Amino acid sequence: MNLAEGVQIVSFGILAAMMLGAAIGVVLLENIVYSAFLLGGVFISIAGIYLLLNADFVAAAQVLIYVGAVNVLILFAIMLVNKRQDFQPLRRGWIRKAATAVVCAGIFALLSTMIVSTPWAISTATPAGDASVVVIGLHFFSDFLLPFELASVLLLMALIGAVVLARREFLPDDEADRAQVEALRLPERPRELVPSGRDETVN
Amino acid sequence: MQLQYFLLVAAALFCIGVYGLVNSRNAVRVLMSIELMLNAVNLNLMAFSNYLDPQAIKGQIFTIFVIAIAAAEAAVGLAIVLAIYRNRDTVDMEQFNLLKW
Amino acid sequence: MDFASLAVQLNAGTIVPEAIVLITLMTVVVSDLIIGRQASAQWTPYIAIAGLLASVVALFYQWDVANPISFIGEFNGDALSVVFRGIIALSAATTILMSIRYVIQSGTSLAEFITILLTATLGGMFLSGSDELVAVYVSLETLSISSYLLTGYTKRDPRSNEAALKYLLIGASSSAIFLYGASLLYGLSGGETRLSTISASIASAGLAQSIGLVIALVFAIAGIAFKIAAVPFHQWTPDVYEGSPTPVVAFLSVGSKAAGFALAIRLLVTAFPLVSEQWQLVMTTLAILSMVLGNVVALAQTSMKRLLAYSSIGQAGFVMIGLILGTDAGYSSMVFYLMVYLFMNLGAFTCIILFTLRTGTDQISEYAGLYQKDPLLTLALSVCLLSLGGIPPLAGFFGKLYLFWAGWQAGAYPLVILGLVTSVISIYYYIRVVKMMVVKEPQEMSDSVKNYPPTDWTLPGMRPLQVGLVSALIATSLAGIFSNPLFTLANDSVLKTPMLQQALGRSKAPIAKQMAPTISQQLSLQITEVSTKKAVSLPKSMVHS
Repeated sequence: MNLAEGVQIVSFGILAAMMLGAAIGVVLLENIVYSAFLLGGVFISIAGIYLLLNADFVAAAQVLIYVGAVNVLILFAIMLVNKRQDFQPLRRGWIRKAATAVVCAGIFALLSTMIVSTPWAISTATPAGDASVVVIGLHFFSDFLLPFELASVLLLMALIGAVVLARREFLPDDEADRAQVEALRLPERPRELVPSGRDETVN
Repeated sequence: MQLQYFLLVAAALFCIGVYGLVNSRNAVRVLMSIELMLNAVNLNLMAFSNYLDPQAIKGQIFTIFVIAIAAAEAAVGLAIVLAIYRNRDTVDMEQFNLLKW
Repeated sequence: MDFASLAVQLNAGTIVPEAIVLITLMTVVVSDLIIGRQASAQWTPYIAIAGLLASVVALFYQWDVANPISFIGEFNGDALSVVFRGIIALSAATTILMSIRYVIQSGTSLAEFITILLTATLGGMFLSGSDELVAVYVSLETLSISSYLLTGYTKRDPRSNEAALKYLLIGASSSAIFLYGASLLYGLSGGETRLSTISASIASAGLAQSIGLVIALVFAIAGIAFKIAAVPFHQWTPDVYEGSPTPVVAFLSVGSKAAGFALAIRLLVTAFPLVSEQWQLVMTTLAILSMVLGNVVALAQTSMKRLLAYSSIGQAGFVMIGLILGTDAGYSSMVFYLMVYLFMNLGAFTCIILFTLRTGTDQISEYAGLYQKDPLLTLALSVCLLSLGGIPPLAGFFGKLYLFWAGWQAGAYPLVILGLVTSVISIYYYIRVVKMMVVKEPQEMSDSVKNYPPTDWTLPGMRPLQVGLVSALIATSLAGIFSNPLFTLANDSVLKTPMLQQALGRSKAPIAKQMAPTISQQLSLQITEVSTKKAVSLPKSMVHS
C-alpha cells in the first residue's frame, strides 16, 4: 500500500463516518433545525466522497445545489412553519419504531449480501478524471440531449407550480361576475382567506 | 480502495433514509429522509461510474440529472408543505387525517 | 462527429408530436403573461386542445416511420409507443374540455392549470417511448411532479393540500426506490444505461440469475406499481382521487396510468428478460391482489370519486393480465382495453363533474332520481358505468372479452376465472349507481336532485363540457359495435413493434441492433480520445488504484 492509497482510505473512512453519523442525526434528533444543519453535513461529506471517486464537477454541483439550494430551502421552510409544537406522543409508538428498525436492518443485510457476493465487472481503463467536464459536456449535447432538454421543461414547471402553490391568494376582484353563475357550485369552494402576515410572527 | 466499500455506505444511507421516511412525524423531516435516499442512489451511481464505466462516466451524468430533479422536487414539496400549513396550522403527519389512509 | 452528422443521428423527426405539445405549452404560458388572466381564460384552453389534437395527427404520421430510434438511443418511437402517446394526448385534451368550467368555478387561474397539465402530458408521452434509464427517470419525474402540482392545485381546500402532500411523499419515495433499482441495473450491466443493451451485457457478465438482478427487479416494480396503482402500492389512490380536483383525477386515472403501463411493458420486456419468470410471478400477485381488493372495497364506498378510485385499481388488475401473458394477443388486448378505458372512464368523470357543478356533492346517495331531472346526464353516466362493468353491447365488454380470451388461450385459467368473478362483483356496484339514478320514484328523490338547477349550456365553459359528454357517450356506445378499427390498431401496434416481436422470439434483425453499435462506438471513441488525452497529464495519486 503506497502513501496515496493510505490517504485515500483514511479520508474515505472519516468521510463515511461523518456522513452516516450525520444521517442518523437527521433522522433521530428531536429538534428539526439541528436535523437540517446535519443534513448539510451529509451533503458536504458526500461531496468529499465524490472527490475520492474522481468526480470533481459533480462534487462541485453537489455542494452548490444540495448545500446551497436544497438545504437552504429546507431551512427556510422550517422557519416559515416553525411553531415549536410538541407532537402528541403516539400510544405504542415504539413498537412501530422497533419494527421499522428491524425491517431496515433486514434490507441492509440483504443489500450488503448482494453487494459482497456479486462479482462486479471492474474496468481497468483510466478514469476520465480532470477531463470529466469535457466528457459530461459531450454527453449532454449528444446522447443525453433529450433528457437534458426535458429537464429544462421540468424545472420551468416546478418553478411555476411552486409559485402558484406557495403564493398567498388575494381576493379576486371579480366577485361580481362570480355571483352571476351562482347556479353552479363545487365542494372545493375557496374557504375563508388567511390574513396576510400571520406566518411572519415566527422568525 | 474497493467498489464494495462505497456501495455498502450507500446501502446504509439508503436504509437510514427508509427508517426516517416511515417514522418521521414532521412533514419536512420526511422530505429530508427522501433526500437522504436520493443521495444514497447518487453515491451508488458515482461508485459504479468510477469503477465500472470510467471512460464514458454515464453514472455522473445520471447523478447530475438526479440532483437537478431532486432540487425541483424539494421546491415543490416545500411549497405543498407551506400550503398545508396555512390551512391546517400544523405539519404533523399524524394530524393529516381528513382523508382516510 | 460534426454537427451535420449529429443532426442526422438525432433523428429528431420522431418527437414532432411532443414538440407540438411543447410549443403549445410555451404559447399558453407566454400568452397568459401578455394578455392577462381574464382574456387568456377565454381562449388558452382551445389553443391547448388544438395543440393536443395536432399532436395526435402528427402521431398518425409516425405510425409507419422507418427508423423509430432517435436521440442516439434515448427514444424509441415504435408503433407501441405511438399508440400510448395517442392515448395520453387524447386523455389530456378531454381533461381540458372538462376542466374549463371547473377551474373557473374553483376560483383558481386556468392558464397555469393547463400549462401544468400539458407538462404532465409531455412527460407521459416521453415516458411511453423512453429507451434509456436517464430518459425514463427524467420523463417519469416530469409526469410525477406535474401530477403533484395538479393534485394540490385547489390550494385553499385542505383536502386537496393533504392529497398533494401524501401523493408527493409516497411518489417521491417510490421514485427513489425505483432509482436504486436503476442504479443496480447500471452496475450489474457494467455501465450500460440503454434498456436494450442492459440485458445482453448482464447475460454476458454471467449475472443472469444473480440476487442483484432480482433486487433490481423488485425495486423497479415498486416504482412502476406506484404509477399504475397496483395493490399494495395503491394507498395513495383513494385519498388522491377524493381530495384532488376532479379533472385531475380523470387525467391521473387514464393518462398517467397509460404512461405507467407503457413503462411497465418496455422496462420489463427489454431490461428484465433474464428474470421473466420472476417478474411474471410478481406481476401475477399484484394483479390478483388488485382485482380482488379494488373490486371488493369498491362495494362499500359512498363517495362517487372514491368508488371510481377503487374501481380503477380493479381495472388496473384486469389490464395487468395482458401484461403477464407475454403473448401477442396479451399485449394487444392490453392496448385495446386501455383505448376503450380512455373513452369510458373519461366519460364517467365528465358526468361526475357536471353533477358536482350543479349540486355541489358527489355522494352516491345524492344521485337518486336524477333521471327525472336530467335524462342526458343519466344516460351518459349509465352507459359509461355499464361499459366499465362490461355489459354486452358496450365497449368495455369487448375489452374484457378480448383480455380474458387472450388469457384463456395462453392457459392462465385461474387468473381468467378470478377476473370473471371479480368483474361480476364490479357489475354489482356499477349497477347500484345506475339503479339509484333511474328507477327511484319521484318522492324518493334526494334533496340535491330536488333542487337541481335547470340545464343551461350557455354559461361560459359549459359548452366544452357538453361536447366532452356527448363525444364520450358516442365513443363508448359505438366503440363496442364498431370495435374493429380499434382492434386492428391494437394488433398492428404489437406486430409492428420490434421490441415485443424480439421478446416473443420471432424477430428478423431488429432495428435497434443495426443502428446502436455504430453510434455508440463512434461516441465512445470520441470520449476515449478526450479522456485519454487529459488523463495522461494527471498526477498519479488522482487516479484510483
